[in-house]
Amino acid sequence: MIHVSNLHLTIGGRPLLQGMDLHVESGSVWGIIGPPGGGKSLFVKTLCGLFRPDRGSIIIDGTEIVGLSEPSMVPVRRKIGMLFQNNALFDFMRVWENVAFPLARLRPELSQDTLRERSLMRLQEVGLLGSEDKWPAELSGGMKKRVGIARATMTDAPLVIYDEPTAGLDPVTTSKIYDLLEKIRQETGATVLAISSDIEGLSTFVKNMMLIHEGRFLFQGPLSELTDCGDPLVHQFIRGLEEGPL
Amino acid sequence: MTGNLLARLGESFLLIAHEVGGVIHLLFKVLVALIPPRFDRDELWRNLYKMGVRSVPIIILTAFFTGGIMVIQSAVFVKKFGATSLVGWGAGYAVFREVGPILLGLMFSGRVGSNNTAELGTMVITEQIDGLRALAIDPVNYLIVPRVLAMIIMLFLLTILGDIVAIAGAALFGSVLADVSFAAFWTSFSQNLHIADLTHGLVKAAVFGFIVSLTSCWFGISVKGGAVGVGRAVNNSVVAAALGIVLSDYIITYTLS
Repeated sequence: MIHVSNLHLTIGGRPLLQGMDLHVESGSVWGIIGPPGGGKSLFVKTLCGLFRPDRGSIIIDGTEIVGLSEPSMVPVRRKIGMLFQNNALFDFMRVWENVAFPLARLRPELSQDTLRERSLMRLQEVGLLGSEDKWPAELSGGMKKRVGIARATMTDAPLVIYDEPTAGLDPVTTSKIYDLLEKIRQETGATVLAISSDIEGLSTFVKNMMLIHEGRFLFQGPLSELTDCGDPLVHQFIRGLEEGPL
Repeated sequence: MTGNLLARLGESFLLIAHEVGGVIHLLFKVLVALIPPRFDRDELWRNLYKMGVRSVPIIILTAFFTGGIMVIQSAVFVKKFGATSLVGWGAGYAVFREVGPILLGLMFSGRVGSNNTAELGTMVITEQIDGLRALAIDPVNYLIVPRVLAMIIMLFLLTILGDIVAIAGAALFGSVLADVSFAAFWTSFSQNLHIADLTHGLVKAAVFGFIVSLTSCWFGISVKGGAVGVGRAVNNSVVAAALGIVLSDYIITYTLS
């Protein structure tokens, strides 16, 4: 599904992604962890073509996206659903319109009634039926996350990226969100990349993990091998130790 | 000392060149999106309503008192020299050619342009623009082009409305303060003014709408640095639009005269 090789990205003279290589099989579920400012969000945004790398290769579902123009990126982006860190809900649209928006753009032949109906079905799945006519500003943080998740999964895209799906949420809501992500993943069979600072919560959902620090992968592999990783930085990070190279 | 001054001058020049270049680049993208038209029509209607219809009350208020102010300023001399036959012409000439478009342009920039910059800037810092791109939607086609068109169209139409209201205000204040009857005002107005006086101002209105739209969109989408950045962008946008309006007013007045 995703093949990345020798990916480099520099912004404002600072090298932020430095020679990243990755291979993600279709249908697999990966967690992305790492210290803040290490390049996690930047990496996934680069996968969506929101940043243009200096060099390297990114192949999404068989298409090389490095060097593609914005119009040529359209078919690739339609294969990707994304939940942004700040949810990125469109504040000039009501909740149901936000959720229906990707589907409306993908299938313009659908009527408003059909779009609303599909949107309500998805909102029911995320437990927000009854909030469809609210504006994003009227929602709590957890509700916004769930609307963002509903929107990211509305088109059943084969690749879904969640950037901090549980940031700032209480443990109960966090648990509910991960259950929801797992339910949606089982229904769609999508490949999933999920960034989170909550390693414990994330571990209940993902099967594989990658750790990014200063624009480099320090670990990639099955979740079960993460604790055995010999890198002192990985060791310190996953155990939350104060002493160490971080 | 001199080196420091030169460095600052160079820095300012680069900054201005960056902003001007950004506006020109955005203009190019807007033109590309217009030929053939690839913008969102629903967004255009939404913006026409939001930017135009909702600006009507403030435009009427501004225009009415603008017409009145001109008569108040001239009332003393009109009475002193008995120049009542010039009031209608004087008010119409000033409103159509200069005061109407420039005052309404600045008012429009303050109300609509600043709001547009803040809205786009907030969309940038809350990742809504990235969200659109991730959904395979070109933000220029979806957000910028409808706003540019809406601002040009609505400032043009609002200027026509503002001109009418300002003339009505001038006639009313002329009658009350300078004893100029409505008939005398209308005679002076209709016999001395030409359609070219109106079109002169409307050309300016369209150009001002274009300037306000491009500067407000550019400063909005190029926001950096969170809420502070949005505040700075709104400030820069209003200053740049005001400068653009005054400069283009000079050029148009010089060229068309």
